[in-house]
Amino acid sequence: MKNILLLGLLFTSVFSQAAHHEMGHMHSHEGHMHEQMVEGKSLAVDPQRFDNFVANLENSKIAVISVQGMVCDFCARGIEKTFGKDTSVSKIDVDLASGKVLLAYPASAEINRADIAQKILNNGLNTTDIQVLQQ
Amino acid sequence: MKNLLIIICLVLASTSFGRPISYVGGHTLMANSSSQADNIYWHYTPDIKYSLGVDYQKDKISDELFASARFTYLLNRKNTATSQRNLYLKTGVGLNKDSHFYGLSGDWETRRLFIGFSAKQQSGQGYDLFEQRVKLGIAPYLGDYGDLHTWLMVETKKNDLDDQRITYPVLRLFKGGALIEVGYHRKTNWDVHLMYRF
Repeated sequence: MKNILLLGLLFTSVFSQAAHHEMGHMHSHEGHMHEQMVEGKSLAVDPQRFDNFVANLENSKIAVISVQGMVCDFCARGIEKTFGKDTSVSKIDVDLASGKVLLAYPASAEINRADIAQKILNNGLNTTDIQVLQQ
Repeated sequence: MKNLLIIICLVLASTSFGRPISYVGGHTLMANSSSQADNIYWHYTPDIKYSLGVDYQKDKISDELFASARFTYLLNRKNTATSQRNLYLKTGVGLNKDSHFYGLSGDWETRRLFIGFSAKQQSGQGYDLFEQRVKLGIAPYLGDYGDLHTWLMVETKKNDLDDQRITYPVLRLFKGGALIEVGYHRKTNWDVHLMYRF
């Protein structure tokens, strides 16, 4: 009987977490940075997430990295650790849902795309695209 | 009977579906506990293709200690936009006991589904043992990066000493760099697996 009660409590907490994560949010995106075309392509990013990322940034370059294989939070931890060691990176965001990594650099920084791709590879993942925006 | 229990301890304590290769420069520490044995395993990833580690096990019944050096090699990996598939070669050799193992393990996962397998041949003084495992899992919700993640899993395993397949539920939780996995079967009691990546 005790085991059944414990299992019931466990499933209740699990599915209440599920309900929390299914809630959506409304947000106006008019005139936002994520609407820019970069090198002839539109940015395939979560608009609200991108706007939150750049909200408090000034004079920055934003690298939007499209990543393959990034399906597990535990395994993506290394991305934050790897890029966190790069002193030119001022902010990092890992978006599992869209398979994107956002990196912020000072506007004067020279972004080495090959280095970014190698760091992603060092985490067991693949880079399919890197787009750079200037604020 | 004692020898059989020692063998089972070695197998249970050293088999894990936890990611055996981390990011380059990453360290991983694991601790496992079952009714038969406890073990601690540390590994380091100098290259994305392999990891090196040391495993230290205690058999609770015979009170014996085993240290092993371990090597894991990534044979194949396939990344897509929504999945990752891995195939690993694992091997270990006893440092203070005449024992060694080698095996294959693999997994395929998306953010929602997981399937993994392990096949291992273990050899020691006077015995050879083969064990196979399969694990299936589903994430009841898709957490964001940094959230508490939950997996509901089922594991089934069989070895050629105890010629009976056992199947049992497993709960996996992880947040940040910490992971805990708990399984239960009335024959083998609780299996607990802890992992921290740093």
